[in-house]
Amino acid sequence: MSENLLVGRKPRRGVTAFIWQLGIYGTYFAQFVKSRLAYRMDFVIDTLAVSFSIVIQMAVLTTLFSKVRSLDGWSFPEVLFIYGFSLVPLGLFNLISVNLYGFSEKYIIQGKLDRVLLRPVGTLTQVLCESFSVSGINEILLGIGVMIYAGRELGLPLGIQQVLGLAVLAPSAALVYSGVFLAITSVTFWFEDRMGLAPPVYNLIRFSRYPITIYSLPVRLFLTFALPFAWVAFYPATWFLGSPGFARVALLTPLVGIVVFSGAVLIWKRGIKRYSSTGS
Amino acid sequence: MAPLIHVRDLTRDYRLIKKREGVAGGFVDLLRPRYRDLRAVDSVCFDIEAGEMVGYIGANGAGKSTTIKMLTGILTPTSGKVSVGGLVPWRDRLQYTRHIGVVFGQRTQLWWDLAVIESFRLLRKIYEVPENIYAEQMKVFDDLLGVGEFLHQPVRKLSLGQRMRCDLAAALLHRPRILFLDEPTIGLDVVAKESVRGFLREIRDLQGVTVILTTHDLGDIEQLCRRVIIIDKGEVHFDGELEDLRTRLGRRVRLTVDLREAVTADDLRKVTADLPVTWRDREGKNHVAEFRRAEVSGAEVIRQVVNDCQVSDLHLAEVDIEEIVRDIYRAAGKEKA
Ligand SMILES: Nc1ncnc2c1ncn2[C@@H]1O[C@H](COP(=O)(O)OP(=O)(O)OP(=O)(O)O)[C@@H](O)[C@H]1O
Ligand SMILES: [Mg+2]
Repeated sequence: MSENLLVGRKPRRGVTAFIWQLGIYGTYFAQFVKSRLAYRMDFVIDTLAVSFSIVIQMAVLTTLFSKVRSLDGWSFPEVLFIYGFSLVPLGLFNLISVNLYGFSEKYIIQGKLDRVLLRPVGTLTQVLCESFSVSGINEILLGIGVMIYAGRELGLPLGIQQVLGLAVLAPSAALVYSGVFLAITSVTFWFEDRMGLAPPVYNLIRFSRYPITIYSLPVRLFLTFALPFAWVAFYPATWFLGSPGFARVALLTPLVGIVVFSGAVLIWKRGIKRYSSTGS
Repeated sequence: MAPLIHVRDLTRDYRLIKKREGVAGGFVDLLRPRYRDLRAVDSVCFDIEAGEMVGYIGANGAGKSTTIKMLTGILTPTSGKVSVGGLVPWRDRLQYTRHIGVVFGQRTQLWWDLAVIESFRLLRKIYEVPENIYAEQMKVFDDLLGVGEFLHQPVRKLSLGQRMRCDLAAALLHRPRILFLDEPTIGLDVVAKESVRGFLREIRDLQGVTVILTTHDLGDIEQLCRRVIIIDKGEVHFDGELEDLRTRLGRRVRLTVDLREAVTADDLRKVTADLPVTWRDREGKNHVAEFRRAEVSGAEVIRQVVNDCQVSDLHLAEVDIEEIVRDIYRAAGKEKA
């Protein structure tokens, strides 16, 4: 039985597949925005909530710095700049990968993953596409605002080079972030009880908003190599600050992003295989 | 030509954790779980030709949904082989899913928050349905299912019947060659059921789609399927024409009589002593007899009863498929026990 009765297009591979999936992504996104526009109030509330939490966190930073002039040699505007940068990849993550939150509840326990498996599009693309968090836009804009403000205080240049730098470093950092969460999410395929690993890890991201030199060596190594959150904010931000030593390391961010994310995708694929072989 | 769907020795086990007692047991379970395998589908074989509409039936937990999940590529089997038009569902997923449509009556395949029309547009993009075919399909769905009425409502606001109609339309939007339906009429009222059945008939005649459907409503089968496969505890118990199922069990007929005076079943047994008729154990004015049409004609039984008894009313009916199937389920249950 080798004849193929179901003639039709061969599945796309490589770059064409990627571009096609991006198109699908765009369609989903447009649909999502449309359906969200129906709830304009939500957007307003989201904006208020995000702004409020950011104001609080900045107030904490300011009080901290009114007591201590500098943090392990980092001045207040520098710390503020790192903080501002950290909001951009976070916003990108929320915008695109927010569906990884509560994935096991929504897709495995409620069984939505079955539907995903019935469509001729990659499973991860579909899951990422099915929800976006508009508040991500707020975070991105606020982050950029904070960076501009802190950069002025520091007398940093602001030109095409910085804009390009942000355009490369922020998505790379978001890739690191998404990769870590994707890996954690994928691990839930192996646990019967679907424990929630994501929230505690999400809390750890806070540590990455400060210059990592304030931590002890083991913590630094941990945040650089094990749970690579240092790449989400600190390292890439130092590129703008021109911090000696670190600014060079910052250029590795895209590489780290690609490695972490690809690794996570592999775990995800194993997880999907496992799902269809266990049925739960 | 090779059959469109080819299934051989399809077997599926689910691994269940054997829970230990108590809190301490819970901890031990976490560290050293004990497993027990449950065989949900057991060495199932069948071939289905293009254009067939096959009913896949069985009692609760018989393994119907599990089979459908393997045929649609959601689950990988423990062992066995499935080839649909040369593709292996779980291996060639991205290619295969373009050719099939699937409806799980128990839960929607649509996006809960999106308006129906937006779900359709998204599906059009995903399956790359050309504009003209999309328009044609939408017209058919509106004519036959009346989906036009609620195109702009979000899926979560639809009634069950409306949602099922949308799910059917969504599954057929890309003109699949094969349609898998797992309980497509569950929870529907009589009218909605009729509309779904009518739609399936039309779509089969119009677009020649091959259909496999599971159901607990044998009306679906009688109205749609010439062929049925009965599965029980994961094993196929019958695979053939619905007509054969009827004749295999000998076309049973049931006669209900109302008498003017109360009698016992034994009295009636004496009346029809020379005929192959079984009377139910009853007393009073109402009695029920069963016989096979092949062995004795209805007229003959009625003649004897009317001759010897004071009959006030009579009713002759063929035993319906539902009861026949119930008997098969029951017999299969006993065999195992
Ligand atoms: N994910 C799962 N994990 C463990 N056991 C399962 C799982 N899904 C189904 N089973 C078991 O496998 C057997 C067959 O289930 P299945 O859902 O295929 O039956 P069904 O014929 O569709 O029944 P119904 O008519 O009730 O829908 C049942 O005993 C069921 O408990
Ligand atoms: Mg079922």
